[in-house]
Amino acid sequence: MIKIRNLEKIYRTEEVETVALNKISIDVKEGEFVAIMGPSGCGKSTLLNILGLLDDPDNGSFLFNNIEVANFNERKRADLRKHNIGFVFQSFNLIDELTVFENVELPLIYTGVKSGDRKKRVEEVLDKMQIMHRRNHYPQQLSGGQQQRVAVARAVVNNPKLILADEPTGNLDSSNGNEVMTLLTDLNEQGTTIIMVTHSEHDARYSHRIIRMLDGQTVLENIMV
Amino acid sequence: MLKNYLKIALRNLWKSKGFSAINIIGLAIGLATCLLIMLFVLDELSYDRYNKKADRIYRVDGDIKFGGNHFILAVAPDPMGATLKKDYPQVEQYVRFRGQGGLLLKKGNENVQEDKVIYADSTLFDVFTLPMLDGDPQTALQAPNSLVITATTALKYFNTTQAVGRTMLVNNRDNYKITAVIKDIPAQSHFNFDFFVSMATLEESRRNNWVSNNFNTYVVLKEGSDPKKLEAQFDALIDKYVGPAVKQIMSIDMAEFKKAGNYEKQYLTPLTSIHLHSDKTGELAPNSNIQYVYIFSAIAFFILLIACVNFMNLSTARSANRAREVGVRKVLGSLKANLVKQFLTESILISCMALVLALGLTFIMLPTFNHLAAKEIKLDLLSNPWLLPALLLMVLITGLLAGSYPAFYLSSFKPIQVIKGKLAAGFKTSWLRSGLVVFQFAISIILIIATIVIYKQLNFIQSHKTGFNREQVLVIHSTSPLGSKAKTFREEVVKISGVENATMTGYLPTNGWRNDNPVFADPTLDQKKAVSMQTWDVDEQYISTLGMELVTGRNFSKEFLTDSSAIIINEAAAKMYGFTEPIGKNLYYLRDINTRSASVLHVIGIVKDFNFTSFRQQVTPLALLMGENAGNTAIRINSKNIPHLVTQIENLYNKMAPGEPFDYTFMDEDFNNLYRTEQRMGVIAISFSALAILIACLGLFGLAAYAAEQRTKEIGIRKVLGATVSNITAMLSKDFLKLVVVAAVIAFPLAWWFMHSWLQDFAYRTNISWWVFIMAGVVAAFIAVFTVSFQTIRAALMNPVKSLRNE
Ligand SMILES: Nc1ncnc2c1ncn2[C@@H]1O[C@H](COP(=O)(O)OP(=O)(O)OP(=O)(O)O)[C@@H](O)[C@H]1O
Ligand SMILES: [Mg+2]
Repeated sequence: MIKIRNLEKIYRTEEVETVALNKISIDVKEGEFVAIMGPSGCGKSTLLNILGLLDDPDNGSFLFNNIEVANFNERKRADLRKHNIGFVFQSFNLIDELTVFENVELPLIYTGVKSGDRKKRVEEVLDKMQIMHRRNHYPQQLSGGQQQRVAVARAVVNNPKLILADEPTGNLDSSNGNEVMTLLTDLNEQGTTIIMVTHSEHDARYSHRIIRMLDGQTVLENIMV
Repeated sequence: MLKNYLKIALRNLWKSKGFSAINIIGLAIGLATCLLIMLFVLDELSYDRYNKKADRIYRVDGDIKFGGNHFILAVAPDPMGATLKKDYPQVEQYVRFRGQGGLLLKKGNENVQEDKVIYADSTLFDVFTLPMLDGDPQTALQAPNSLVITATTALKYFNTTQAVGRTMLVNNRDNYKITAVIKDIPAQSHFNFDFFVSMATLEESRRNNWVSNNFNTYVVLKEGSDPKKLEAQFDALIDKYVGPAVKQIMSIDMAEFKKAGNYEKQYLTPLTSIHLHSDKTGELAPNSNIQYVYIFSAIAFFILLIACVNFMNLSTARSANRAREVGVRKVLGSLKANLVKQFLTESILISCMALVLALGLTFIMLPTFNHLAAKEIKLDLLSNPWLLPALLLMVLITGLLAGSYPAFYLSSFKPIQVIKGKLAAGFKTSWLRSGLVVFQFAISIILIIATIVIYKQLNFIQSHKTGFNREQVLVIHSTSPLGSKAKTFREEVVKISGVENATMTGYLPTNGWRNDNPVFADPTLDQKKAVSMQTWDVDEQYISTLGMELVTGRNFSKEFLTDSSAIIINEAAAKMYGFTEPIGKNLYYLRDINTRSASVLHVIGIVKDFNFTSFRQQVTPLALLMGENAGNTAIRINSKNIPHLVTQIENLYNKMAPGEPFDYTFMDEDFNNLYRTEQRMGVIAISFSALAILIACLGLFGLAAYAAEQRTKEIGIRKVLGATVSNITAMLSKDFLKLVVVAAVIAFPLAWWFMHSWLQDFAYRTNISWWVFIMAGVVAAFIAVFTVSFQTIRAALMNPVKSLRNE
């Protein structure tokens, strides 16, 4: 599903040039659950953003479902993204002014789903994430774990083939964290590909494979059994 | 301590340069506009105040109802002034003005037509303060053929202001002696003449007729005397003096005159209210209108309000961004008072900077404004000693108002709330700010509607069927010097190719003379059946040359010898007489008031009403009589090469009247001159509206930037979830559009009411169509969307990765 080769990303500020990704090559197959680990600043988030088509690489090739997307323009990337990829962030990134329901509904609006279908689909997902009773609450009225469940609900509402999660448990205590990890495992079992950045060896054990990074390169890949 | 506040304030301003610039510029434009209008209003209010006795000078005005007519006059009967002084001890002095057209003067060998000429009584200098550079005010205007001129005129003709004793050849006939040179009359005067001719020069000044009202008469009352008390005695005065004259002319006494529904009232108009409140028949010059003072004061007030609202909006918006800073400061032990002082220092600093910029802007805009308003206003802060303090006060209040909301609101928050960012969230949907934006837009929409309606009315005046065709008509003024050759001139002119027709007359709808007379429907000269109307002597080419239309009947014709006693009346006159079959009816025209001899006229036609006064008034009765009057010659032309044609006509004129000045205008220009004030005020109003809208836009621009900034994270999230640039732009614009819609709902009825009242002043007026509102709404919406689009598109284009990183 994902095949990147010699991918480079260099950040240039006035004084320094940071090589965030240094000729990195990774493959992810459909249905896989991959964890990415590594010390802070090694380029994990950068990689995830590029995989999620939020950012473009400076060099190298990126095949998404056998299509070269490395030099897609903003429009094409947005289009591909909204139909295929869901995101879960460490800091949840829910919109404060919208209710739980409206937050989860957003991706459906942007993919042009009709309002009746939207309602059905959102309720389905909220049910699955067990936060249906909170549908009319605002994010500030929820606990961190609940917020992250809403974020996961939002990420899967469009039935994406790929979910990218950047430290999804980073802001949660261990029991809330485990809950989110179980959700992700369930999704993976139903066929969704998951790539997750994490600092926790415990969480990484939920995955099939761990990619370890250092200074913008992969240094080791562990296959979990 | 203050130094410290200032230092931090300056640093903060610099840190958010964009906001500060918008804030300062918006406020500066507002202050500058306001200052300009203030100067304009002050100038309007200062008219005639240069006279030392301004508070004691009154003009004797008249209100006369006679026959079917009603006159509101700026002139009084011939002997009124002298009689008031003789009979009433509280009248200290009087002076009369009488306009008799211009003078033809000689400068070297060149003929010069001067129009700013007035005949004045010798008491002129006892009443008005017109400082003399040369000559004796006591005697200057006593002898006939004396001439008092202004300094500029003296320099023009004699290269010196010491011109007393020199002579000028007037109308190629008489020698007038310069008896005094006065300083130029201040611009803020309701009259403005270059030449004062001694009243004794005029035969008419000795006529002393109580029933002819021709003299602008001014009186100075003694100090401490009450004008109301004097006015109260006017009725008796009229009975005493006008009564006998009425009896002689109409053979009825005053009681009968009044019983028939007629009246004559005189009253005193204070000198200082003439410029803004007087629009009567017989004014020395067209005056201004207090309405404009009100309108402009309102505009100034609203512009300042918009600017202040902007300032407040942007300041509070910006301070919300500083909520965290406030929280940290409080945690670190800063007192509430310190924070309040800090915020106030900043906002007052901004307003002071704006004031400095505003003074500069005013200075730059003043020449343009003077040009638009035809004024000579100067920005002289010292001549109005209270102006600068007033401005400073205004700025201080603005600064305090704008600063106080964020200062007290923010600093009263508990630090923990602020740090947690709760405040910032509350600020996003602030009702106050939405309300202020709605308010600004409501005013802007009202101004847009006002602008459209004013423009529409001006257009209406331009395109309204005036009942005559003013295009392609050349008017040659004063063809009287041609004397008996004037008729030949007309005949010769028509032969020039490109000339379609020509008429010789003193009476034209756009300018020229006016002549009001009672015309009776009854041989007994029963004044109940009289209609007072304009009676104009014209030739048989008049109607065709000016493109007027006959409703029924026929034009004058040489083939009918009886046409010397024919009369053509307008529709208004026919209606007044109540004629159903007007053609062939007889009318009686008083030839001599003393012998009461009348000539019989028979109606041969009805001319369609044409406008010969301002559109503010309905067309009044008018009659055309066959006569020879060489006052002007109006020539209808049809030529591509107008300059060439004019030269040909000028050559012909010079051949027939050597040495006489060839003075011409185009009739459409004369027509436009009638509405110059309206047009001028229209242009000014439009400019100020544009400025107000500009200021509102600046504010909106800032707010949109703020809103976009506040919502950076949200925009980022939405983009990650698949929102496109247009989705985001639409989302952000929609919020502002909603406010515009609310503003429109508030503005429409108000605007309708304002403009409806304004239009009432015109007898001939346009309507306020529904599309005016649609257009104003669309324009406002467009302006709002356009303004915010800069910010929203920028925000929408931002890479979401960046905005989400800023956590
Ligand atoms: N917008 C940017 N401008 C400049 N440098 C950047 C930018 N984004 C990331 N970097 C740099 O690129 C490198 C990789 O950053 P990245 O965020 O991918 O690290 P990370 O592995 O996700 O770290 P962490 O575990 O702390 O989240 C870092 O050195 C970072 O400073
Ligand atoms: Mg990271």
